[in-house]
Amino acid sequence: MAVLHAWRTARVTPLGELHAPPRMTAVLVRLTVQVVLVASLWSGLYAHTGATAGMTREQAISYAVLAALASRLRELDQYAGRDTVIQHVHFGTIVYWYLRPLPPARYHALRALGEQIYGAAWALAGFAVCLAVGVVQPPKSAAVAGVFVLSLLLGQLILYFIMLLIDQWCFWMLRNTSAVLILIFAQNLMSGVYAPLWFFPGWFRTLSTYLPFQATLNVPLSLYVGRIQLSDAGRQLAIQAGWVVVLFLFTRFLWRRAARRVISQGG
Amino acid sequence: MTGSIEVRGLSRTFHTTVRRPGFAGALRSLVNPERVAKHAVSDISFDVAPGELLALLGPNGAGKSTTIKMLTGILTPTSGEARVADVVPYEERERNARNIGAVFGQRTQLWWDLPVKESFAILRDIYDVPKAEHSARLREFDDILELSAFWDTRVRHLSLGQRVRCDLAAALLHDPPVVFLDEPTIGMDVVVKEQVREFLRHQVEQRGRTVLLTTHDMTEVERLAERVVLINHGRLVLDGTLDEIRRKFGSTWQVRATLADGHTDVVPPPGIALLRQDGPQVVFGPDGSEAPTVHQALKAVIERYEVTDIAIDEADLEDVMRVAYAHAGPPAEGA
Amino acid sequence: MNAVRIAWRITRLNIRAQMEYRVEFLLNIAIGAIWQVSVIVFATVLLTRFTGMGGWDSSDVLLIPATRMLAHGLFVLVLGRMHGLGRYIQEGRIDIYLLRPMPVHRQVQLQYFPTNAIGDLTVAAGLMAGALSRSHLDWTAGRITYLITCLIGGMLLEAALFTAVACASLRFPAADYWGRWLEELLGTFGSYPLNVLPRAVGGFLTFGLPLAFVAYFPAAVLTGHGHDTGVPYWLAAASPLLGALAYLGARLLWHWSLDHYTGVNG
Repeated sequence: MAVLHAWRTARVTPLGELHAPPRMTAVLVRLTVQVVLVASLWSGLYAHTGATAGMTREQAISYAVLAALASRLRELDQYAGRDTVIQHVHFGTIVYWYLRPLPPARYHALRALGEQIYGAAWALAGFAVCLAVGVVQPPKSAAVAGVFVLSLLLGQLILYFIMLLIDQWCFWMLRNTSAVLILIFAQNLMSGVYAPLWFFPGWFRTLSTYLPFQATLNVPLSLYVGRIQLSDAGRQLAIQAGWVVVLFLFTRFLWRRAARRVISQGG
Repeated sequence: MTGSIEVRGLSRTFHTTVRRPGFAGALRSLVNPERVAKHAVSDISFDVAPGELLALLGPNGAGKSTTIKMLTGILTPTSGEARVADVVPYEERERNARNIGAVFGQRTQLWWDLPVKESFAILRDIYDVPKAEHSARLREFDDILELSAFWDTRVRHLSLGQRVRCDLAAALLHDPPVVFLDEPTIGMDVVVKEQVREFLRHQVEQRGRTVLLTTHDMTEVERLAERVVLINHGRLVLDGTLDEIRRKFGSTWQVRATLADGHTDVVPPPGIALLRQDGPQVVFGPDGSEAPTVHQALKAVIERYEVTDIAIDEADLEDVMRVAYAHAGPPAEGA
Repeated sequence: MNAVRIAWRITRLNIRAQMEYRVEFLLNIAIGAIWQVSVIVFATVLLTRFTGMGGWDSSDVLLIPATRMLAHGLFVLVLGRMHGLGRYIQEGRIDIYLLRPMPVHRQVQLQYFPTNAIGDLTVAAGLMAGALSRSHLDWTAGRITYLITCLIGGMLLEAALFTAVACASLRFPAADYWGRWLEELLGTFGSYPLNVLPRAVGGFLTFGLPLAFVAYFPAAVLTGHGHDTGVPYWLAAASPLLGALAYLGARLLWHWSLDHYTGVNG
């Protein structure tokens, strides 16, 4: 039975999107335009320069395009479904999460899982097209591809926990707009969505090694384009796994505190 | 299915931050917020028997919703104890969740972007309801609530009345013995209200569910509830039948009679006062706390006097409640 | 005059309301600053890595992000409440505004105080100061006047774009999605000499989504690159005028959309 409710809960987002074709068109348009823009920006920037920051033109374009694709994974119109924590807190419907025999933490995780799988379908389709037209270089070897997939999965887990932290923030603050903006921004900047992390000054990269953001995208993408060598992959994967454990424990602790808060305030 | 509710000495105190007035005050509150305690519910006790429908009444801010939240397990009481279907709700939230269904006014638990039926299916799987049982119950609900006309529509496109009917069905799909309804018919038109009442009556009488209902609609109380619990300022004011409430607060009846010739000095029966006399026309009202009901008074007046015409004015439940709300409890402090 | 007094009074109330949420208030100031600092980091990163970007001297290129960010900060402070309007429409707040004897647009602008604009503007002003001090140009009164005009024009152009999105959300609340994308596009592509991009893409960012007029064309005209922007010189030079016209058009569109507003169901 657990499989049934997991399946039901996970498919809420994809189903909601399928019921709203204009939203799917919007995603398609936005993804296409974004990829074209990113690809042309980086080839334009490299027009008068050879390899810089240890990255060739092809590597930089592959990295940037993949980052654009990957950042669409969860970049949906989250508010449209009225199932975000902040909306539930705002409308007072968060009480229903605590009135069901399904723990809110698991419900939240299942919803996100469905959302990420749905987003992955888009990213994968985009990846296939980019690969076919040659915007993105294929991975150097099967080993690189395998390590990339593993690292990407870990990265997505870390990303989930970061998004979860933003959601959990609402239980205490009732509003999360600035926290969300800061975190989303930190995520975009320090994971390499805006520009590959390798272009940034040394102090900035040192700073980001102490933060979880670079582990979400920069590590898998650098592995993909070969900016991080396979020999170093083990260490990077271990760091990612470490973040997963730390964030898992921290968010679990926050779920407990959130439940206690709901139970003492009444939602 | 045994769904009793026992409440013993339940209390809940909230601590809130008070903002100081003015711009300077806002700045000071930024640094050093001031906190005060508010007693939302104080020492409330009552029981609801299995298969009984109880209306929890009280003015806005009386503590009704706080009480319901404690009984559904969303809120922990500061002191006292509650048991719902033999489970302490705030201690075993998930076990309690399987025993109860709840609708909180206009707040919907349905998934905004999906057709209603999808929401039902999600809940079915969350509560582990067998498929056949689920469809049978859905059919049963559809018979009274007429859901099938719009259950393929996305929730965002439903009207309020349609949505609340769906929410009601959603809350009862897992066959809970105990149901909590916090102002379920607020903002609905009369037709939908009647539909919802019929549904609730059916659920109580045919399915034996225990229902705890809060409402401001006195017609609803008259149609549905035999027993009511009245709270005000967080305290229990009265626990009894509608008749008892009427007797206690609604003694505002008047009997107007035109007496036949010869009655000059009118001495009313015990418990009845003569309010006005204008020739043969007299008006009687209740006298003291042992006053008879309007029907008893009518009988007594007819027995004692020869009347040519008689009429009664009885306060309706809303009038009674107005008196009860004004009467009950201390004056509002910080409410 | 009365309108100004009411606007000022509401703004003061809004600042107070923002202070009610203590952590949020401080975070909001911080976020503006962090946001812009990272844009600076980002811009300087690219400037140092890719010198001679688009044939521009790096001190000249710096003028583009500086102009764009200062215009953006002004926009957020003065006219920035237009994005995110879809949410307020869904909550039925527009319906309430329509009942009050004050223009709806002004009420939308006065709905909260943009605390983050404080941080935004501080950092943007810092970047502008940096750009000006590095610049080899002779900053005559004429140049400075043109720069200020362009800042206002950029602010109006950005406001025009978001007002247009707001008009769309009066009809389709989901248009908010486009507003967020617009913000992202302006942030990421507004800071480069657009001639590094292929002609078609540059054309899209000029005539499709006119972000070239916010900072790139003004900076090109100021630094003497005005003749190789891919558009006629007069058009690039007329950027501030276009901003004003676009804003005027957007306000007319807003007016029209409001007249045709039918409300949201439920």
